[in-house]
Amino acid sequence: MTAHKNVIEVEGKVVECLRSAMFTVELENGHQVLAHISGKIRKHYIRIMLGDRVLVELPPYDLARGRIVFRYRN
Amino acid sequence: MDSRTHATGPAGHATPVTRVAYGQWHALEDDLVVGRGYLQHRPDGRLFISVDAWHDAAFAQLAEAMTAALPAPLHTVVDEADTELTAHWRRAGFTVARREVEYAVPTDPEVTGLRAAVPPPGVTVVPAGQADAAMLREVDRAIRAEVEATVGWRSMPAEVVPRAEGDTIVDPSLYAVAATDERHVALIRVVRVKRPRIGLLAVRAGERRRGVGRALLAHALGVLHRSGISEAWAEVDASNAAASALFRGVGARPVGSTLELVR
Repeated sequence: MTAHKNVIEVEGKVVECLRSAMFTVELENGHQVLAHISGKIRKHYIRIMLGDRVLVELPPYDLARGRIVFRYRN
Repeated sequence: MDSRTHATGPAGHATPVTRVAYGQWHALEDDLVVGRGYLQHRPDGRLFISVDAWHDAAFAQLAEAMTAALPAPLHTVVDEADTELTAHWRRAGFTVARREVEYAVPTDPEVTGLRAAVPPPGVTVVPAGQADAAMLREVDRAIRAEVEATVGWRSMPAEVVPRAEGDTIVDPSLYAVAATDERHVALIRVVRVKRPRIGLLAVRAGERRRGVGRALLAHALGVLHRSGISEAWAEVDASNAAASALFRGVGARPVGSTLELVR
């Protein structure tokens, strides 16, 4: 069986920190998505702050929400 | 590696979980990945797992497959504000082992009340970058040994970064210390990336309750204030009453919290 990585990965910038550990991320195309931090990076106690550049995974069937899977250093 | 369990997803589709590598699991629907689980070995020997899934059933199946395949105890980390994720892990049998509060710490002495905080007689503060590296390592080892002999070092730090065995001082220039004529008695580490972070503040057991930690904190915050930084960041184990009182006493305000869960 071949497992496809059925997500879209897009870079963006955190423009709002919301309650419930959610963030509004503005993507490069100007579109905004509601995103949470992936468990994988949460395990490393990585904190996401306003203005951070991040990589967001979007499921193909719901482009309004996403998951932050990487935080760029600068 | 290909060990599988099968379940049914929300749309009635089969949701097999496959262990695709030693530390990685996939939940699949229609040959597409709808969830992933990861295992991480911490340098201190603990196993941490995480699950990222696009729907609840996939999360539950991944958690079930991973907990069945791995030895206890298993740990994971969640943001306390993320009640949905915390509930997922609770349903998988995880309970809270540790709570860590994130504080925003003002640096202005007029706000912190630390302008008059000085070390006790016989103790001086050595600024970051000026501490003797050998003595710095000695006080770090001594404090870690004291903690390990009492409450346990594993319960103390929020993060565990892989380091050379026996050497926990990665960059000596980040540490300011409190010193007597004979030895270093306390240390504070401040990392200045984006928002400055107080990563460690520790005082040797025999030197506590004399104002040494408060004086070191006053020094570190003062340095930040003089360089135009108004706020730092620190994480404190909620069960550490002395540390919590120290930070709250200087006007630090809680801005978030992290739960370490265990099963």
